[in-house]
Amino acid sequence: MRGKVYNLKMFMREEMLNGSNNLVTRETGAVMRERLERELIAEVGPTVAFLDFSGVGVIDYSCADEVIAKLVSRLLSGEYGDKFIVLMGLSSSQMENIAVALERKKLAVLNLQEGGGWQVIGFLNNYLRKTLVSVMEKGSITLRELAQERGIGLNTGGTRLLNLYKKRLTWRSEEVSKEGGRQFVYKSLTAVMGVLNGETEGTQNHTS
Amino acid sequence: MDLVLVAPPTVDEKGFELFLGQFGRRAWSESHQICIDLGDVTFIDPYGMVGILEFGYYLKSLGKEVILRVPGPEEVSKYLERMDFFRFRSGLFVMDPPHLDLTEKYHRSIASDVLLEITRIEKSDDIHFIVDRVRDRAGSILETHLHYDERAIHHFIVALSEVCQNILEHSQNIGYVGIQKYFYAKSLAKNVVKIAVMDLGIGIKNSLSPRFSLVCGERWSDLLAIEKALLHGASRYEDIGRGHGLTEVRKFVQKWNGKISIRSGTAKFSVLPSWESGLERRSGVTFFPGTQISLVLPEINR
Repeated sequence: MRGKVYNLKMFMREEMLNGSNNLVTRETGAVMRERLERELIAEVGPTVAFLDFSGVGVIDYSCADEVIAKLVSRLLSGEYGDKFIVLMGLSSSQMENIAVALERKKLAVLNLQEGGGWQVIGFLNNYLRKTLVSVMEKGSITLRELAQERGIGLNTGGTRLLNLYKKRLTWRSEEVSKEGGRQFVYKSLTAVMGVLNGETEGTQNHTS
Repeated sequence: MDLVLVAPPTVDEKGFELFLGQFGRRAWSESHQICIDLGDVTFIDPYGMVGILEFGYYLKSLGKEVILRVPGPEEVSKYLERMDFFRFRSGLFVMDPPHLDLTEKYHRSIASDVLLEITRIEKSDDIHFIVDRVRDRAGSILETHLHYDERAIHHFIVALSEVCQNILEHSQNIGYVGIQKYFYAKSLAKNVVKIAVMDLGIGIKNSLSPRFSLVCGERWSDLLAIEKALLHGASRYEDIGRGHGLTEVRKFVQKWNGKISIRSGTAKFSVLPSWESGLERRSGVTFFPGTQISLVLPEINR
């Protein structure tokens, strides 16, 4: 799994001729989404794209819908292949508007906070939130570990982990268990960010 | 001159309605020349100003020659100039008197209360310009006079962006916006910011008709269309992400104890705060094409 930071402000400079750093209007949103789609599709192999909003000004509801909600919706339908999205560099006001756009469509996305913490923006039911906490706190978790930690059945735990994966809020790899069998290990998307160092200018590649 | 329409002394939301009512009662179809007489005007706000401008364009679209009699009081003309009203006169109005030496006569104050001069909206870049301009001036007006913090300013600008975008997304026409800060003495005794956004497009009812006219049947009207757009996030697009801009703006305005009014076709719907009186729903008002939106946001307590 690779991690890559997409600097939205820089993309705006490259895509928008008006020099604005505000993500407003659907037209702007469509231009920016198409740029992000091109970038995502061009990535070879599983990738976590960290969309960095540092330096971006106002984000209105329409643009948030056009850029984030549509991007996440298409991500979930598999249009970009084995890709994942995490947001970062958002102010609380920007986050609120993105949340409105995501909640309408019952979508959710991870947001990486400045201090290294994380949160879910958008709609995610309580069971999945708790499961996500388990994944994020441990960095990676198997079905057995989750079932043991939460005191739930394997079927229930399996469904929750699978749903989180389908919502692109975790990634998973198939690994050999201690007993020699094969099992999925569900992993935190932000763990990929753990190997990031220094400035995040333009796009950077990171491997986990 | 075939027909003279005299504007009332105060041309705000109510004054503009009176002015339109006068137009609705007069037989104007045979008139070639129509005069908009601002001679008695002593006060005009962004709603009145953008309204008069749009009214001029409307008459022009009907093939009329439009005479604009400028306000008698010099202060009012100064304000019109400060708001860039006269920038749009060329090809639209025949001025009475014909020559206004405005550039030398009226200097613009640095400490102005104007947050945004009358600005044309016809493409996405215009919204970017508006947002940039308001962000630049937000500190001196929204922060100083309305005591808005960074978060409130962000939401204010988003609300502005959304109402302006409705023109691009739904009106199928161009529009205009103007914003100014006032001291609203009447029932509030506070500073307010007034935003007026108008277009001469197809109007909300026509925009929503393909999706709602059959479902609503005989009940389908301008008023119901406005209600659906403002209260229920209705859109002509089926995508569930569409149509929520106005409802989010309404929530923002209500949260900040402000007022929002939308007029379209022959109806007007207002969400009124405690400091404002009037009717929430009005139908059967004089037909005026497109959509006219008024936002009034008061200062908040420190």
